[in-house]
Formats: sequence, C-alpha cells, structure tokens
Amino acid sequence: MKKIALSLFVIGSILTSCSSDDDNNTDGIGNNVVVPATYEFTREGNSTVSFGGQTTRIQMSEELISALKDNTQTEPILDGMFAHVEGEADFSDANLNASDKSIRSKTAASEDYFKANTTAANAIKADFDTWIASQASEVFIAWDNDATAGNAGKIQEGGGGSTRYVNAKGLEYNQAVNKALIGALMADQILNNYLSPAVLDAGANRADNDAGIVVDGKAYTTMEHKWDEAYGYLYGNEANPAEPVTNADSFLSKYLFRVEGDADFAGIAEDIYEAFKKGRAAIVEKNYTVRDEQAEILREKISEIIGVRAVYYLQQGKKNLGSDNGSAFHDLSEGFGFIYSLQFTRQPNTTEPYFTKTEVDAFIATLTAGNGFWDITAEQLDTMSNTISAKFNFTTAQAGS
Amino acid sequence: MITGKKNFLAVLITMLIMVACSSSSDDSPSDSGDNFDRGALLVNMADNIIIPAFEDLQTKLSAVDIARGNFINDINQTNLDLLSDAWLEAYKTWQYVEMFNIGKAEERGGDKGFVSFFNIYPLTIEDVQNGAASKNYDLDSSNFHDAQGFPALDFLIHGIANSDTSAIDKFISNTNKEGYISYLTDVVAQMNALNNSFANDWKNNYRDTFVSATGNTVTSSLNKIVNDYIFYYEKGLRANKIGIPAGNFSNAPLADKVEALYKDDVSKALTLEALNAVQDMFNGKQYNGTSTGESFRTYLAFLDRNDIVTLLNSRFDDARQKIEVLDDSFFSQVNTDNTKMTEAFDALQLAVVTLKVDMVNAFDIRLDFVDADGD
Repeated sequence: MKKIALSLFVIGSILTSCSSDDDNNTDGIGNNVVVPATYEFTREGNSTVSFGGQTTRIQMSEELISALKDNTQTEPILDGMFAHVEGEADFSDANLNASDKSIRSKTAASEDYFKANTTAANAIKADFDTWIASQASEVFIAWDNDATAGNAGKIQEGGGGSTRYVNAKGLEYNQAVNKALIGALMADQILNNYLSPAVLDAGANRADNDAGIVVDGKAYTTMEHKWDEAYGYLYGNEANPAEPVTNADSFLSKYLFRVEGDADFAGIAEDIYEAFKKGRAAIVEKNYTVRDEQAEILREKISEIIGVRAVYYLQQGKKNLGSDNGSAFHDLSEGFGFIYSLQFTRQPNTTEPYFTKTEVDAFIATLTAGNGFWDITAEQLDTMSNTISAKFNFTTAQAGS
Repeated sequence: MITGKKNFLAVLITMLIMVACSSSSDDSPSDSGDNFDRGALLVNMADNIIIPAFEDLQTKLSAVDIARGNFINDINQTNLDLLSDAWLEAYKTWQYVEMFNIGKAEERGGDKGFVSFFNIYPLTIEDVQNGAASKNYDLDSSNFHDAQGFPALDFLIHGIANSDTSAIDKFISNTNKEGYISYLTDVVAQMNALNNSFANDWKNNYRDTFVSATGNTVTSSLNKIVNDYIFYYEKGLRANKIGIPAGNFSNAPLADKVEALYKDDVSKALTLEALNAVQDMFNGKQYNGTSTGESFRTYLAFLDRNDIVTLLNSRFDDARQKIEVLDDSFFSQVNTDNTKMTEAFDALQLAVVTLKVDMVNAFDIRLDFVDADGD
C-alpha cells in the first residue's frame, strides 16, 4: 500500500512537472530560460542563427519599390522582380539574381492564414500584380502630365516638396506595394507562419529539437531555424542583426523605428527584441510554453506597428486634404498600404487578424470610391481611423501624431 | 527543518521527474504505447483493401492488353474507342492503388517508387514521339518515367501526334506508325508485368511481412503506410490533380498539367475516385465492397479520438462537394473559372492539417516528410 501510495505521488509529481512548465518559470523549478543580451546562439562553438532567405526577400523588395518609381522601367521588368525566377537577371545585385527565392511566392502564403485558403491568397497576389502592372500602364505613361481628379499624373507636395506620381484616384501604386508588402510578406510570414506552432512543431520538429537533432549539414535544429526566419523578416537587413538598430530597410524595420519614435509607443522596439530573444532561448531550453508566450507578444506588438501607421497616415492625410493634395495623397497612399496590411495582423491568442479581409476590402472600397482620394472627406478618414484604433490598444490621437 | 528522509525523497522524485520528462518523446516511437491491435488493422488493410485493389488492377490491365491486341489486329476507330474504355477503367482502378508505394512497389522508380512507371504527368510528349520514330527507347530508364504508364496511353489513344490530324493517324498514316504500335505494346506490357509482380509479391511474400511488422518504428508497417497515405493525399491527390494545374505552386495556372490531358473530360472522374480511395482506406472499407474493418478510423476511436474521425470524414465530404461542382475537364475549369479549382484545393488542404497533425500525433507516428510542397 505504501509503495503504491508513493508511486501515485511520484506519478502525480511527474505529471505536474511535465504539463506546467509555464507555472514553474516564475518560481525556482524549471526557470531555465535565460534571455541573452543579444540575438546570438551557438552549438559547439558554431552560430545556429540563419535567415539568408529573409534578407534576400527584403533586398528584392527594396529593388522592386525603387524600380516602381523609375518610369524607364517596363511592366515585364517589374513583374520579373516581383516573381523572380532563379537565374533571371531581374535585379542589379547578382546574388539576388542567383537566388531561388521570390517575393511573390511568399506573398499571402502563411501556413495559418493561406495554406487552406489559396483562393484568397490568389486574390491578394492578383492585387499586387495589378498595382505593379498599372504603375506601368497608367502612371509611367502619364509621368509628365499633371494629375487631376480622374486622371493619372504628377502632383508636387507643397512648399517645393517632392513630386508624387499617382493614378486617376490619387493613389501612388508604389506606396501601395511597399506598405502592403509589410503585411502580406513580412507580418504574414512572421506572425502567421514562422511563429505558429503549425510550423515550429511541424513533423518531427519538436522531437528533433528535444533530442538536439540538427538539420543535415547545419548547426541548427529545424525549430530554431524557423524562429530565426521570423526574426529575419524584421531584422534581416541589419548591418549587425544580432544587435539591431531598426530602420534598416523600407519595410517593417523602418516602421518599427517610426513607431518607437512616437512617445506614446516608446519601448515597443525593446519589447519586440526581447520577445524574439526570449522565445529563441526558450527553444534552446525546450521550453515551448515560454516560446509560445513570446510568439503571442510578438503577434500583438508587430500587429500594433501596422495599426498605428494605418491611423497615423490617415490622420496626416486628413490634415492636408484640399490644401496640399500632393502631401495628402502621399500620406493616404501610405495609409492605403498599411490598411491593406491589417488583414495579415494577428490578435494574440486567437487565429484572427485585427481586421478580416472582408473588412479591409470595405476600407479600400471607401478610399477608392469615385475619384478616390480626390473625393474622400475628413469625416470619412476620421471614422476609419477610429474604427481601427478601437480594435487596438491605442487612440486615434495617440497614433495620429 | 527538512529531515534527511524528506531530502532523499525529494531527490528521488526530482530524478524521476527528469527521467520521465526527458524521455517522453524520444523513447516512445519504439513501441506503440497503447494496446491497440495494429496487427488486426494491417490484416484488414492487406487482405481487404490493398491486395484486392492490386488484383483488380491486374484484371483491368489485362483487359487493356486484350483491347490493345484487338486494336492492332484491326486498326479502326471503334477498336480504339474500346481501348480507350479499357484504359479509363484501369485508370480509375489505379486511383485505389497509387497510395500503396510500399513493399516491392517502392523498390524501383526512385522517390516516387512504382508511380514512376504508371502515372507521371505531364507526359513528355517528345519522348514518346521520338521513341516511336527511332524505336530507341528504354522504359526502364528514368528518362522515360514521364513517357509511359497511363499518361503515355492517354496520348497514344487520344492525343494527336505532330503532323497528324486525328489520334488514330499515329497508327495508320504516320510515317512512324510501326513505332507507335510498338510503343503502345511496350507501354502496356510494362504496366502489366510490373503490376503482376507487385500483386504476386503481395500475395506470396510481402503480405506476411507487412502484417507482422506491428511495432512503432520508422520501418514498421503502420508507420510506413501512414506516411505513404498522407504523402499520397497531399502530393498525388491534392497537389498533382488540383493544386499544380490551378497554379498554386507557380506564378500562373498551368492547365496543361492536369491528369488525363488528352482524353480531357475525365480528370474530375479520376480525382473523385482518388478521393473515394482515400476515404475508404481511412474508414477501412473493403475494396469494391461495403463491409468495414480495423482501420485508421477504428484506431482513432480506440484512442478516444472520434473527434478526429468526424472531422476528417466531414472534410473529405466537403472536398468532394467542391470537386463535384467542377467541370469534367479540369483543363476547361482552370481556363474558365480557376477560383473553383482553388476552392477545391483549399477544401482538400483542410484535411491535410487534420491528417498530418491530429491523426499522426494521436498515433504517435513520425512523418518522414514535412511539407510535400517544398519552399
């Protein structure tokens, strides 16, 4: 009897210890996740951090958005940059040309959102295809015309500012592509793919990570690598990715920097960096509860970048609407892209974005109704801003300045 | 305060905890850990599903050979149509066999095993035409994996060769007509010989090996058949039949990558057969019969996971509905309304998740592939 009682007690202890790693992390037992000072991880002296494919796609995207502003380019050239094929001379950088990666194949392509929804993914890819094609067919050919309501052309920002090139509705397609990629490529891949248990734990990933089984010829386990690939979509273009300074590309890195610069959101950059480090350290320690907690933090914070900038640009656009349409349309074009990106955000501890594709499509329909930005009103922009802010943990006033 | 005895107990418990926690995942694959009778499941699969399917394919391929003989003895459209009918019957039966890339079937043909000799599409039409012209071809060579089997017959029976105006011209007026007749004969002979060897090996040899390998290691029968089954569903059915033509793995749709391109109006029928084969296998339904036996379904029920059973069967049923609304010709469907193709793909994909995560975890089986799509 005594032995049985002891056995039951021991079994009870085992069950407790195995199933509740999370509870144990704040007290003594099992608190084995030490967050390193920098994003550096090694195995037997070799770095286990790798995200070359992410750096490649960020750099391809940089070349694409530059080319979209060059009216000597043609649609086939732009298409080739978006949907690069290994070996084609689409880019100025030979390394990018040699790569088998492409932007388009990872646009709206996350495991959680699009693996079983290729119908929506195809529609999103088609939006990008259309913006890119229309930049050539509508805007490049009207490069020297003055834009008016219903007519594509150029429009200069007030005070001798930059000249912007817009379509008949006042939209800069290059901004649409640039800011929509932040959602459709970077955020979607990070939040809904690489941070997802469906990817991190796919196949034998967890058993392999538990046993320290590395990928053939590599220093990392598959799970470690997946987490690094998430990291790479934010920090992959940094000079020293282990100690990122942000603002290292024109996509998520830049807008994390911008949001961090708003006093209302200061600290977000550190929160994100810490969560990436802690989650990665948790994988090394095989503590998947802590790992998933960090993933949820990242889902909230990175989604917030997109939400804040969507509201920010709507409010900035509103300020100049009618008085300086060059500036207003530029801001609204950026806002258009960030709003598009909202459908790729992820509410923490759910499988849902902050705004669904249907909701985003309705925002876009409002922005582009009739003559688009030429017709939109300050009231409409405020309504949209408030709808977005209300879903997030900030006010329109906080985001808008 | 703490006595030595308690300390000792604490240390003991801690050690036990460490042992229990650290060994929970790497040791378990060596035995199934539950008391389910895997042997009974394997017997039902072998005797009521796999062997009858291979035998039926033997019958159907014999009929193809007879129709081929009748056709080359008296070359006319009626006999070509009869050959086409026999081809279609065999092709439908093949849909119940393709997932069983195990035993002798996986010995040759590379990663794709015996599928390499039966159903690699799209066909490389040049290899067939050049082969007929030169009479210099080797169906055992990997260069000709994409120039034999059902896709090659599809072209020979229904396709139009260069400079011809109808399918039958290959055998009547084409300058290489003797070559085409030889090629047709050799393709049919290869299919019959290979399938006979698989069917006979199952009956005379492999069946006993299969049903007795009841453990839970990478070489155990259930582990292998689960891997083959899921791989087939994800790659052979979902990707090859629907996803690739719909353009889900490329920058644009690729309508000419459909199965049975030259016959054209049977791609839906073949896909529906394949989905039935997958669902029947899951439910342990006797081949060409109605009774059911031990299966993935009953194993899940044993594990108290009827939720997975219900979910999978409803997802298979949903996918069937999405496929049934498609055009008989997927080539036409892709070109007229590809969205319906991607909707069918999406419905099929939902079951992939249930199979690869839920079912595999319940069985505690390790998948030997992660993503059949590649990056």
